[in-house]
Order: sequence, then C-alpha cells, then structure tokens
Amino acid sequence: MQYQNEQIAAAAEILKNRLPDLAVKSEILKAVELKALYDQLRLLPNDQKAAFGAEVNSLRQELSALVTDQAVAGTALPAIDITAPFDVNVAPERRPRLLPSEQGSLHPLMTELSTVLDIFYRMGFTAVESREIDDDFHMFGSLNFPENHPARDDYDTFMTEQTDAAGKSFIAPAHTSTMQHRVLKQHKQLLEQGEAIAAVIPGRVFRNEDLDARHEHTFYQLEGVYVSQGVHVGNLIATLKTFLQTYYGKTLEVKTQPFYFPFTEPSFEFALSCPFCDQAGCSVCSQAGWIELLGCGMIHPNVLREAGIDPEVYTGFAWGFGIERLVMMKYGIEDIRHFEAAKLDFLRQF
Amino acid sequence: MKISYNWIQEYLDFPLPPVADLVQTIGAQLGAVEDVIDLESVYKDVVIVKIVSCQPVADSDHLQVCLIDDGGAATAVERNEHGLVQVVCGAPNAREGLTVAWLPPGATVPSSVGKDPFVLGSRQLRGVMSNGMLASPQELAIGDSHDGILELDEQAPGTSFAVAYGLNDQIIDIENKMFTHRPDCFGILGVAREIAGILGHKFNEPDWFQTYHKQLDSPATSLPLTVRSDAPEAVPRFMAVALSGITIKPSSLQLQTYLSRVGIRPINNIVDATNYFMFLTGQPLHAYDYDKVAALSDADGAVLVARLAAPGEELTLLSGKTVTPRDGAVVIATDRQAIGLGGVMGGANTEVDANTKNIILECATFEMYGIRRTSMTHGLFSEAVTRFNKGQSPLQNDRVLLAAAQHICQHDGAMVASVVFDAVAPGLVIDRPTTNSVQLSLGFINARLGHSFTPDAVVSLLSNVGFIVQATADNTTELQIAVPFWRTDIALKEDIVEEVGRLYGFDKLPLELAVRHLSPAAKNPLLEFKTAIRTALLRSGANEVLTYSFVHGNLLAKVGQDERHAYRIKNALSPDLQYYRLSLTPSLLEKVNSNIRAGYNQFALFELGKTHSLGGPDSLTAEGVPVEDEKLALVVTADAKAAKQYEGAAYYQARTFLATLLTELQCNQAISLRPLADEPELNVYTSSYYAPGRAAAVYVAEAFVGAIGEYNEATRKSLKLPAFSAGFELDVVALQAVQATGSSYKPLPKYPKLEQDICLRVPTQVTHGQVMHVAYNSLAAFEDKHIAASVTPIDIFQRPEEPDFKQITIRISLASHDRTLTEAEVSKFMTDLADQAHQALQAERV
Repeated sequence: MQYQNEQIAAAAEILKNRLPDLAVKSEILKAVELKALYDQLRLLPNDQKAAFGAEVNSLRQELSALVTDQAVAGTALPAIDITAPFDVNVAPERRPRLLPSEQGSLHPLMTELSTVLDIFYRMGFTAVESREIDDDFHMFGSLNFPENHPARDDYDTFMTEQTDAAGKSFIAPAHTSTMQHRVLKQHKQLLEQGEAIAAVIPGRVFRNEDLDARHEHTFYQLEGVYVSQGVHVGNLIATLKTFLQTYYGKTLEVKTQPFYFPFTEPSFEFALSCPFCDQAGCSVCSQAGWIELLGCGMIHPNVLREAGIDPEVYTGFAWGFGIERLVMMKYGIEDIRHFEAAKLDFLRQF
Repeated sequence: MKISYNWIQEYLDFPLPPVADLVQTIGAQLGAVEDVIDLESVYKDVVIVKIVSCQPVADSDHLQVCLIDDGGAATAVERNEHGLVQVVCGAPNAREGLTVAWLPPGATVPSSVGKDPFVLGSRQLRGVMSNGMLASPQELAIGDSHDGILELDEQAPGTSFAVAYGLNDQIIDIENKMFTHRPDCFGILGVAREIAGILGHKFNEPDWFQTYHKQLDSPATSLPLTVRSDAPEAVPRFMAVALSGITIKPSSLQLQTYLSRVGIRPINNIVDATNYFMFLTGQPLHAYDYDKVAALSDADGAVLVARLAAPGEELTLLSGKTVTPRDGAVVIATDRQAIGLGGVMGGANTEVDANTKNIILECATFEMYGIRRTSMTHGLFSEAVTRFNKGQSPLQNDRVLLAAAQHICQHDGAMVASVVFDAVAPGLVIDRPTTNSVQLSLGFINARLGHSFTPDAVVSLLSNVGFIVQATADNTTELQIAVPFWRTDIALKEDIVEEVGRLYGFDKLPLELAVRHLSPAAKNPLLEFKTAIRTALLRSGANEVLTYSFVHGNLLAKVGQDERHAYRIKNALSPDLQYYRLSLTPSLLEKVNSNIRAGYNQFALFELGKTHSLGGPDSLTAEGVPVEDEKLALVVTADAKAAKQYEGAAYYQARTFLATLLTELQCNQAISLRPLADEPELNVYTSSYYAPGRAAAVYVAEAFVGAIGEYNEATRKSLKLPAFSAGFELDVVALQAVQATGSSYKPLPKYPKLEQDICLRVPTQVTHGQVMHVAYNSLAAFEDKHIAASVTPIDIFQRPEEPDFKQITIRISLASHDRTLTEAEVSKFMTDLADQAHQALQAERV
C-alpha cells in the first residue's frame, strides 16, 4: 500500500521491516512510531485531520493484517520424523529436555487425598474411585431418595440432556455416596465370610451453584462405608475420631449434631475440636473452638436391603467429607476457586 | 425455621435453660442452629408512654409538639416542671390521650438494627426541641405501616414495650434441612415438644391439640356452603367451615408480634390468624372471601371443591402470577372455575380484603410429592409448600381448623356460619391419636446404639414426646410402640432407634472401635498407578493441575472437537459448564496463556482425570451408565524467549517427557510412535487439535495407549499458545495394562564395556525408528550369549545441500558376563549391523 503522507510512508517502511524480528508479532501495533502518528493527529488543524487520520488508520489495519498473516504463516511447519528422539542437526546441549525437578509440583488436593487414603488403608479400608457421571438410581434411588422427595432439593445436581434406559437424565454426582450401592453389592460376600465391608471412596463431585470464595461447583469428597454384624453408633463416632486424631496427630474432642440424610438413620453432622487452636479460638474455627467437618450416619436399612444385605443381621455406617476444606484449613487458603484455576502462582507453593 | 424462645416457653411447664444452653442442646439433639437473634437488645429501650398534650408546631403543616408521660422511665432526658418529655411528631394520628411507643434519646430505631443503625438523640425541629421519637409499626419492625404512629391499648406509662409484648425474646433459627423429615417441627408446638423431650420432661399437649374434634359448638347454617373433594388420593383430607360477621382490621398487637418475631409480615386479623396457627402447628390454613367464592359459584351459595386441574385451565394467584396448573396438580375450585392452587398458593379473585364480611376457612392435607411437583413445575415456593411437602398429618386438620375458627370467633367477633365439612379419603381413619405402630426388642435398640438402656429408660424417653410404649404381654424387653399422629416420619424400627439415641444424646454413647481381621486391606491398583505417574512427572519438573470436568462449547470449537460427541449439561447455572469434556488436553491448553502472562515462560502442566464421550455401543457400561475413560494429559510449552535455548521441534520435548515417564512406569516395552493420520484406534474427534505431520500415536507392546504431538495452527491461534508447545494424552488404564511386572534390573557385567558409534547414511524418508529397529534386532543376537548390549541415539545430521539423505549416528555398547570381548568381535557386529541396515533401509555406513 502506498501512503500519500511522507511521515506515514516512512513509518510504514520502518514498521514493516521490524515485523520479522519481533517474537510477539502483535507488539508492532504498540510501536512508538505508530503512537506518534496518532499523537500528531490530535494536534493537526481540523481540515487536515480527516485525510491524515484515514491514512494512519489504514496503516494500522495493514499492520494488523500482517500480524495475523505472519502468525499463521509462521505456524505452517513441515512434517518431522516423529520416531526420532530429537530433531535433525541439533547439538546435544540445544535439544529440548525435561524441566528442573525443583520446578515440579503436585496438586495439594491430590497430596492430601493420598495422606487421608493412607490412614484409611492402615485402618483396614480399601479404596475405590467415584464416578463423574452416573444415573438417577445410583445417585438417588438406591439411596432411599423416593421420586420427588424434598430431600432431592438439597442437591443441586447437574443433569445431562442425554438419558439412561429409563429415560432419566444422567447426573453429575453431587456426592460420592453415588458409589455406595455398588460397593455394598460388590463386597457383600465378605459379610457371609464373617468379615466387614470397609471401603473409602474418593472422587470428584458437583453442585450446580454459583462460584465464590467459599463455593465451588466442583470439589472432592471422600466417602466411607463400614458394614458388619453388631456395628453401632459408638463405632461410627470412634472410627471418625480415630481417623481425625491420626490425621492431625493429636487428641481431639468430637461431637455430633442430628441431621437428615435419606440414606442414613440416624444421621449426623460431625464436629471436631479445633486442632489449630485447641479450642482457644482462632480464625480457622471462626473463634468457635469447633469445626464442622463431615456428614455421617448409620446406613439406612432400605439402602442395605437394596444391595441385598439383611439389615436385621448387619448394620453399618457411612460418612463423607470434603477434601478442599482439610487443605484450606491446613494451609490457610483463602479462596476455594484456586484449586481448579491451574495457576502456577498457586500450584508451585505446594 | 425460626423459633421464639418466649413462644416455646408458653407451651412448657418448666423453665427453659438460658438461651446459650438451650442453643447447645438444640444443636446436639435436634438440629443445627444457624443463628440466634437477640430481640431483647433490639427493643430494650422502647418505652410505653401516654401523650398528655398535642400542639401544632408553628410554620409546619403537619408537625405537632407532644408532651408525653413516660412514667419517669427514661433517664438523662430533659423534662418540664410536670416531669413530661417533649417530642415533635409528624404522624397524623398523634393525639392527646393516646398510648404509644417512644424511642428515647440514645435508643436505636429497631428497624435499623443490623442494617444501618440509627441512634436517636435530642434535637431541634423547626426550632422546637424534640427528644427521641414516637414510633410507627414500620420503625418498630412489626409491620409495614408508616402512615402513623403505633397505637397501643392503654397501659401504665413507663412500662417496657418489650416486656408488654413478649419482645424480650431470643429467636433461634434452626436449619430447615434438619427438618426435611419432620413435618411437626415446622411448628412451635413440635419444637417445644422436642425440647421438652431432650431436656427430660414430659410434654403436655394443649387440650385442643390432644383430642379429635368433630364440630364446633352451636353450628349455625346461615351461609350456604358446599364442600367436597373429588381427588381423595391427592387430597387425603379436605376440611372447611364458613364464618360470618367478620370485620377486617389489624390483629391484636400481641398476635402481630408473634408473627413479626418469626419473620412474617402481619396483614390483617384473618390472614394473621391463619399464619399464627400455621407457625404454631405446622399446618397451613387458607381463608377465602366467602362472598367472592359464592359469586364465582353457579350453585346457590358458595361451592368449594378440591379436584385435579382440568387441561388448559388458567388461574391467577395471590402473587399476581397467572399459571396453567400442571397436569395432575390439585386446584381448589368452585363449581365453575379454579380459585386456588391447592396447597401451594391461593387465588387472587377470592382473596380476603378490607371489605370482606364472611370467610371460608380451609384446612386440608395434600399428598407431599404432588405438592413438590407442582411447586417445582411452576417455580412457586411458599410457607405452605415448605410444610406440605414434608408430609403433614391429616389427623391434625380438625384440631387446627377448629382452634383457628374458635380464635377468630373469640377475637374478631365472627360467628360460625356452617357445619364443619370434612372430606376424608376412603380408608383414612381420623378418630385416633396414633397412626403407625412399631414393634421391636430392647436388644435391637441397644445393639445399634452400643448401649444398655433399660425398658423403663426407653419408655420414659419416648413417652415424653407422645409415643405410647407398652411392653408386649409377657416380655418386658419386647416393646410395642404406637406412633403419635404428627410423626408421619416414623415407620421403621430404625426410626425408633434414632429417636431413643437422639432424645438420650448420641454424644453420651460409649465410643468403641470395631474389631477387625488382621488381613491387610488391598490397595487400589489404579490409584497406586496414578500416584506413580504423579511422582514421575513431579521429578520431570511438571506441575499437576486440576481443571473442571465440564467445558464451554467454545473450547470444543476452538480445538475442533465436535460437540455432538459430548454429553451436554442441560441445567448449568454457568455457561462455562456446557459439556462433559471429550479429552483433557484442551483444558490444559486453555490454562497455558494465563500462566505465560503471569510471568512463567517455560512449564509443563499435567492432569489426571476422566473423560466421557457419546458414541457407539461401547459407550455405556453393563450398568447402563456412560463409560469413563481414565486419562493423563501433559502440555509442555515455552514462550518465544525461553524457546530460544532450544533448537528443533517442541514435539521432541513432549517426547522426552513421554519417554522418561514410560521408563519410570516400566511401560517401555517396544514403544512405537506411528503417524497419527494412519491411526485406526484413535478417536478422531478427540485428537482434532494435533498438527499434521508433527504428531504420533503411541504404542507400547503393540497396544495403543494415546497420542503425542504439537498443536495445529487453528488451536494455537485460538488459545494463544506459544509456537513452542506440545504434549500428549494417554489412556491410563491401557498404560497400566502394559506395565511390566517383575524387575528390569540387569546384573552388572564383570568385564569391561566396549562402546562404538556407527553412522549410517540413509534416505531422508527412512525414520529414526526404523534404524533403531534394525539395531535392536541385531542386538537380539546377543541375548543368549551372556552379553549385555544397548543402543543409544547420538546424532541426526543432514547437509543442507543434500536434502534427500541424512546421517544417523547411534552408539552400541557391549559387555560380556563371561570374558573380555575382542575388538574383532565388536567390529564384526558393527559390520553385520551395517549390512542389515543396508539391506533393510538402503543405509550406507559412513
């Protein structure tokens, strides 16, 4: 393109010559030469503004088009020998290599999950991962949630357009209990052998909620299930207390609060004395001295029956808690959204 | 569910513990307390006063200067010689002799508490001193009215307003969720009963709630009314009575404050009475304007029918919204048209208003699931829905209806104007105090609570809250338990176990760990394998990330994936969550640019996660749920500056990460990289983002495990990726299947190792992999000869002037376990290797 104005023509030549040398091509649009032309435009008498302005704009458009072209053209690369360990004519010291290992990091949620799993392994629990898409039967039906029961309102579930054989939407599970029925059914022969069903179920769960610093639509839960003969409420509370004392490495107080879940009877919210201040009051426990951490209860007889286990003979308990909460409390993390944001600023601190 | 401490106390014959202790008890044995609101502190300064005189303020058209008698209650306030206090008031109803509520200087306006507290003082208004203010219902947070000051019944000046009207109260807000299965606890009566029980006291039911009522005293039949239910399954019980001679007015202040304390706006004496009884018992009531109903009825007088909605009929609700009730919804109707959405919301055209003279008072029970469906379908939520969808007992209908009718007759001068209609579904027995019956043994309870309750202890705990417990004829440990009618949640033996545990206190039960076998718990192999992957990549300097399982349709489009293969979320609140992701890589690519901009010029991100895709017959498991693929994705990238340290394609960096990982995992048997384009096993729709000619399918031990490559132009451009970017995505389960078991250790040779490089000149189209393949085959000849052999790539060289050829240098290393190898042996091997390469690949030794 030819520019009438000499200054603009000169700037165009300079800028076009510079373009090939730029690593980030779009930087050309921020060049001082271009800015100077726009500055000059403002100072011109009104009768000259239109013509000058049109040419400056044309130049900007031309550069912008060149940036796009070059960005694309620069990427149309030839085929390479995909079987080779390195490229042709590259000296060993210039070949791409692994990154320094001190730069590597593991996600804190996964690290914590391993720690938690390890304690439960030692207590005799096996582990199975939860699903990320499931059906109405496993999420609700097998867990004693009747159709249209108001308890379903407490779970803001994501549902898919696609449906299962019964014509119901698939569901993004809102709790890891979605695996409970499978685990009970799979392991019930253990009961007949006089052993217990003892399993923990870590996994990703979903709630259709708006995000804020304390609410995520995606988070991790760990479910636990224990069934045997003569299992009672005291076993439930003792098991969770023992786990928490091991996890925090200190003696704790625990307390329960009656709650309602359709799949346990009775149901509880479970709280522990704040391990960070020993109940003196701190920011982690909001000065309460107690931390409400998990939901639990004795497995509802209908849930056992649905899995083919006789609730007259066997009883059991189940619990679930969030992993994010443990990690946030441990490190003082202020915003739950950090976990799935994939920010290296965050991740490389762990 | 907000409950009032004072209101609860009215129904108990023992003093409640202090509120802090009560809250703790409720928390431990009834349900989570969300909040405690101290009303006492809100109203503590409000004083009942009498206006002794009223004079207009000069230059004002509405202000009056009032002298008030506060009985000397306020301290530190200016008084005249008679001890009266001067207040300027703009209310039109301020007049001499009126008893009103006064906020003295220093008091905070109750309606401003918790928002923007407004503290009163003494100040000049139009040059006249005014001390504090005379308060309107709105300022006192009792009602909406701000038209004038609140007029009180005459009482001694100086009385505390809070004490006179029960506002020296504490409001305890218990989480509704706790009561999902407790319809009775949506009323003060139910919560009072529970509190008595957990504090170890017998609850005494009010007389009117205890006994079955058939009719009101001296029923008149002055208003013709027909009531029936045509939908007995959806409406198990439908009761109504007409009342005449109503004067609509504000209810007594006492009643208004009951409602305002629990967050309900007082409206008029009739609506307030229905709300009062709903909050007291959990049973919703509805009042219709009789004359409006009669006018909409074809028959003589008023007709009130509960029936299922007719197709297409419309109804305008109290809220002003017009709905076409869902198929199967219950409507309340005349013999002409629907006038209310049963159990959900009344209709606009039969609303009680200022001119109402006669009413129909309705008290019914609706089937809980139907109520929920109607509420969800139409997006209508009301206090009635909250209660009906928990399953209120039909046996309380008569008790509540008659108590409410009697209240209205007593307080509002109404007269009973019809018989009490009672449409009962066939089979529903209403004339009894208990419904279900549960038989269980003491052992059943003790085994599940891990305790040793005596029969007497269980009887006492349960009968305190209305259960009727009897030992069966000859056995004191077999208990027959009759469930009071309001406990519609109790049907199973386990329900009784919960009651006993809760009323006793779960935290008082002995703790004991279960005894278990010594057999070790098996670790989950897949979880262990994933841990090994994490550890290996950590060592390679990569950063583990977690990203959402759901993606925006835009992301699929940016990387060329077809959304038709993805499970679509139909109800996500956020548009970012439209589809289940088809692969992990796009989620990682999406996070590259933001980290570059955050100042990281070189990094590798990886994620382990599940993917889902719609497709052929194998896309569902035997259970009929979508197959979940376990994936590992890694993306390595460097911005233009950092990339300057490297020469060659980014592909080779991803390949280095891959090779290292596969070796660490012992998944390195016969790794083969094949052109992606020829790959039959790869889902084309998940690999749409790879660059042609610069990506490969990854095989281990002849099994397809994933893909590796650079990204195509469109993907790089749309996600603003640096030119130097590449990565891989592998199927974790497929990879685990090819993991070598056993040791890869090779004993150290006792004799010196001989190394020799060999450079082969081959046509450009011959791949490095082909050369290595020939080398490996040659080395295989040594396998049985006690010779440790290995081959290492050294260099690939191409002269610019000879583009049709390249030279590949590899290093052969040989060492024997038995003896020192001779140069001749090694040379022979090299020659053999060169010959084989020549035959297979037209290679020339250089």
